[in-house]
Amino acid sequence: MFMPGRELHDNTQSACTASIQPSKLNPTNLTGSPNKPMQEGFRKVCSTGEPIPCPIPGLASEVLEMRVKEGSKIRNLLGFAMSRFQGDGDAAPTSQVLFSGTGRAVTKTITCAEIMKRKVRGLHQVSKLQYRTVTEVWESQESGPVQMTIHRTLPSICILLSKEPLDQQEPGYQPPVETLSEESKWADEPHGNRKPEKRPPSPCSHDLPSLKRAALEQDSFGTSSKMLI
Amino acid sequence: MAEPRSPVSASVPHNPMVLPTPEGSSLEMDPMEYTLRKRLPRKLPKRRNDVYVNMKTDFKAQLARCQKLLDTHREICIHGLGLAINRAINIALQLQTSSQGALQLAANTSTVELIDDLEPEDPDEAGEPLTRTRNNSAIHIKVFYPNP
Repeated sequence: MFMPGRELHDNTQSACTASIQPSKLNPTNLTGSPNKPMQEGFRKVCSTGEPIPCPIPGLASEVLEMRVKEGSKIRNLLGFAMSRFQGDGDAAPTSQVLFSGTGRAVTKTITCAEIMKRKVRGLHQVSKLQYRTVTEVWESQESGPVQMTIHRTLPSICILLSKEPLDQQEPGYQPPVETLSEESKWADEPHGNRKPEKRPPSPCSHDLPSLKRAALEQDSFGTSSKMLI
Repeated sequence: MAEPRSPVSASVPHNPMVLPTPEGSSLEMDPMEYTLRKRLPRKLPKRRNDVYVNMKTDFKAQLARCQKLLDTHREICIHGLGLAINRAINIALQLQTSSQGALQLAANTSTVELIDDLEPEDPDEAGEPLTRTRNNSAIHIKVFYPNP
């Protein structure tokens, strides 16, 4: 048994331990870049994040927790959250919802909270940032039962939205969006009667297909700008 | 009223090639080719202790810049838009870690409206330049030394 963990540079914020059943593994296999074990024929088997204690004090026990993953669909997440929030059916409506996401799901988590805030007016918000350790198990595809465990530290975000007021002194608190100031801004415009069209009752301008398109466009930004020159 | 679609349908007879419009697609995209040109995000106020994180500058350089600002300021504000949200959070958390808990973070989120211009590829065809607005999420992290 050997410990390859100490050979890894620590600026990648990941530690690595290998459990090897047969001892015929070449040690140089593991000294490469720990971030891309894929290149050495390893495949990710599973990744589990340690359960994080919620960093926001004073949470109601019946808070609805939404764990946003990289592949989650915003429409599914929001459809569920909205139905629980409005309390259709038998269950009583929840007054608080907690969105949490790690790594690449952080942006999606924020987008969910932002859409929610626009659909339901007057929500109080507290956002918290923290590192979260995720354990990934990688398995070699060629040499059989060789497993590698990687502990990776990823940034994560928790966003609590609440109908009831929250502690305003809490770091990361955001008061509800003031609709008043926004409406007076539109009223100043010469086309005052266009206001209802500009702000539709359903905030669909942040809608899902357009979001997806936006993401795609972002990827191709580099090439499209090059073509213009 | 120049409807953006009307010049396009007029230009179709000039073009013998049948434009491949996807069946059943409900997109209001014209069959004509457009170049998507993205405007820069709306200019935001900038104090001395504001940092706007992007994805073009080296991560370490941006981290070092924040670290340096914290030598002279008791609080700085790190902003990130879209893809740069992750990087903004990473910078803030690294600053907090390296301060051994002396720094606190307070994160706020917002939505930023972005404008895209659609410009017709072919200047001969009388296509109208269009604009389209979309939204993107942003984060604003206050990194500060709490008052004793």
